[in-house]
Amino acid sequence: MQQQLRIDENTALVDDMNAREILESYEEITVGEQLLDDVLFFNLFEKTFLLFSPDKSDPSSMAAVYLYNDELLDFPHIMLREERIAEGKEMPSGTYRYVCLFEQESIVNTLVPYEDKIIDCIDRLIELLSMNSSEQTREFQKEFMFYWNSESKSNRKYVAYIEHETQFTEMDAFYGENKVRLIERCISLSDIDDRNKAERKWVHHIENEVFYIPITDSRGILPPHKGFSWSADCVKNIVFGKRIEHIDDDTYSQIKTIIPKTQDLILVFGMKTEQSNVTFALKVRCNNHKGHTLLNKLLSDITAVEPLSTERKDYLFLCEQIGNDIGLMHKRVLLIGAGSLGSYVAFEMVKNGIQRLKIYDNDKLVEENILRWAFGGFGIGLNKAATLQFLLNMLHPEIKVEACAEKITEKSLTNEISNTDIIIFTIGSSDEQLKLNAALKRAHCSIPVIFVWLEEGGEYSHILVANYQKPGCFECLYTNDQGAYVNNRARKNTEIASEKGVIRNGCGGTRAAYGTAILLRTTAALLDVIRNIQGEKITKNTLIDISSDRIDISDTVFPMEACNCCGNSVQ
Amino acid sequence: MLKLKKEFADFYKEIKIDKETNALKEKREILEEDIKSKLPTILKNHNISIARSDIRMIDQGSYKYGTTISDDVVDRDVAVMIPLDISISSDPRKIKGYLRDSINIPARTVLIKEPCVRASYYDNGEEWLHIDLPLYSQSGTSVHLARGKEFSSDYSWESADPDGLNDYLCGQINGNDQLRRIICFIKKWRNVKYEGATSDHEVPPSIGLTLLACDCFSAQSTDEGDNDLLALQKTMKGMLDRFTYTVDENGDLVKTISRDLPVTPYTDVFKKMKDSSIAHMTTFYNRLSKAVENLTNAVNVESAHDAGEYVQKVLGSTFSVPAKEAVAATAQNRREHSFG
Repeated sequence: MQQQLRIDENTALVDDMNAREILESYEEITVGEQLLDDVLFFNLFEKTFLLFSPDKSDPSSMAAVYLYNDELLDFPHIMLREERIAEGKEMPSGTYRYVCLFEQESIVNTLVPYEDKIIDCIDRLIELLSMNSSEQTREFQKEFMFYWNSESKSNRKYVAYIEHETQFTEMDAFYGENKVRLIERCISLSDIDDRNKAERKWVHHIENEVFYIPITDSRGILPPHKGFSWSADCVKNIVFGKRIEHIDDDTYSQIKTIIPKTQDLILVFGMKTEQSNVTFALKVRCNNHKGHTLLNKLLSDITAVEPLSTERKDYLFLCEQIGNDIGLMHKRVLLIGAGSLGSYVAFEMVKNGIQRLKIYDNDKLVEENILRWAFGGFGIGLNKAATLQFLLNMLHPEIKVEACAEKITEKSLTNEISNTDIIIFTIGSSDEQLKLNAALKRAHCSIPVIFVWLEEGGEYSHILVANYQKPGCFECLYTNDQGAYVNNRARKNTEIASEKGVIRNGCGGTRAAYGTAILLRTTAALLDVIRNIQGEKITKNTLIDISSDRIDISDTVFPMEACNCCGNSVQ
Repeated sequence: MLKLKKEFADFYKEIKIDKETNALKEKREILEEDIKSKLPTILKNHNISIARSDIRMIDQGSYKYGTTISDDVVDRDVAVMIPLDISISSDPRKIKGYLRDSINIPARTVLIKEPCVRASYYDNGEEWLHIDLPLYSQSGTSVHLARGKEFSSDYSWESADPDGLNDYLCGQINGNDQLRRIICFIKKWRNVKYEGATSDHEVPPSIGLTLLACDCFSAQSTDEGDNDLLALQKTMKGMLDRFTYTVDENGDLVKTISRDLPVTPYTDVFKKMKDSSIAHMTTFYNRLSKAVENLTNAVNVESAHDAGEYVQKVLGSTFSVPAKEAVAATAQNRREHSFG
């Protein structure tokens, strides 16, 4: 291969080589007709390819290869559909199939010399065509959904919502205008009853039972591709593999027991490999043999299988796609305060894997505050918690945000503890925080509580993690070593700076002036804190200082042994 | 980074069979049920009295030891042990014939082979499974294996200890994952190199390879984990070193290997191979020698790509060769080598 030549004879050798010279340096390649300076045919492994060299005037361009006049070659990354060029055009007539050799944005093309781009492209092509069967399977599986959805003849998309992806389960089918939702029965979607005028947007259909079957061993399971269509045998091989068991014992035992009620079925298969997580559905048409178990039906009654264009859209899957901590999904979070900070925190929490949120705030959004409220001008004059609930529930139908348009009291807070996994305070009033902190202490609250607050001026903010079973609480910050009340000892602002950050708007009402940067960085720090609590990296009560140039464990003395709230009980 | 660590892990994932498939399990259970329900009656017709509950099935072979690898035909071994006085039922061929009769239905093809009765299963005309049923007689603590083909004059009740063999191999392999992998790799090597074999006797038997691998196993690991390349090389080298020179009938020196069963009857597991043709031993030695040479090269070369190519010569094309190390600016620039 070309790279060997480069190693042996110095990299300068390839400088200023043209495409023909580079191709000719490969012993496996025979160069054919040249159409333009750097566009030429070549033969490799008894196949003909057309090379489009990168555009020399565009450093970001890359080389491309097409398979010429071969509609049968069955290989991953060689596109299924061909471009057909008729006689009389600039290109030789025939069929061209694009060979997809590069992952999007995997290379900074501008940094790569022209010659190296061609060499890399050809090396990849040789590597692709030299793959053994297990490597080909891996590559096919990486692109499974592309092949699967290309094979679908249905004009509807099937959207799967799955929560227990490793368990066999029955699903419900809800038909919409262009989509069909296949929903695991334990999942409830908040918009499933929505209507378009009088008509339901999603109608529950029962003519085909739907079953989700997780595949535990993906060896040899290929998507349909050139010359290979899915048939009943593919389904049989999964549920009753002869050489390799593709499903687990629990799934097998269930499909051996369940007796489907409908003649035809929809099967949803889930398959995780090292490099892909695919979910694909198919309609299975069957003979009507009543009394057959699902296994018997799949083994002996199938008359046709029909791939259905499938995508997975459940909250779990979307979280996995962006690397969220899945462990947070079932945590119930109580957020107290839906002001500027609370709005950012709420929005980011549901995007980071917290699906169940309850928000308390009795305040209404006023126009002066819209620039530092996460959702801008929507909801002016409305209750902040209810507005957040409306907006966040729209993000995904599995998100369950509850709003309480009232000020939380000590009693209601105490009552919430048993229904909550984490409590987060994003309120500005120290009096409120101190009062509620004491209530939590009295209630022997055993779940993590996080106080988040901003200082005036937009420079400093703080996060306090409190576990009331351990030393340290919010009141410690307002207590000196003699047990006397003092102002928040974590404050970093001087009095002068604080005074500068205050806007007075009559009748003694004040607002602290700060931009949104402090909101963003405090929210980001809070997300890390939540992850660290979940990952048990934060195990003791901790005070964190946040400023524009650092996030650090605070040097403020904490906890305070003389604290009137928690100190006497701390040993 | 350990050389070829990922490639060996992927290869093992690709070839290993963890457990019986449900399709196999179902066939085996039906077969066992047929034996238990029909064999006592057939034996009774020949004046041999046993109860259904007297029949004992013993799981044997690679499924028992967790060293099964994927193959075109699934090979399952289940021993059948019955109480029998072999001083009265002295002809094991007849008893094997009764066992054959108990399972001989159109759903399976049944053959009497020298050490067992084989039930084969076909799908669209191709065999996909056979279950070998070695038949043992038990009288007190004395256990014998029924040997001999149906019409062969060479037959015997051979003293045996199937439970002892199971105990020995399970004791060696269980809890030693690297040994288990090495046995699988060696069996895969055998399958690749003997793909075109026309008779069973020219192929080194699995039990022989398994016993030798256990004897010669050399555990290899570093802080980065198990080094399967080095363990395989050293184990196969150890096996090669077990060959000895013997003189054949023409006075020529030939290489042969022996490994006695670790339990009764303590016979050489390579005897059939040797008896069939001494040339089979020479082929075995040469192929093993070539494998050790390639693995030694793989251990010694610096480049993972080159090492992978050597290993592929041993384990076949299923073993993935890593991409050539980055030398061009493009390769240094790219984050990973994967296709679009």
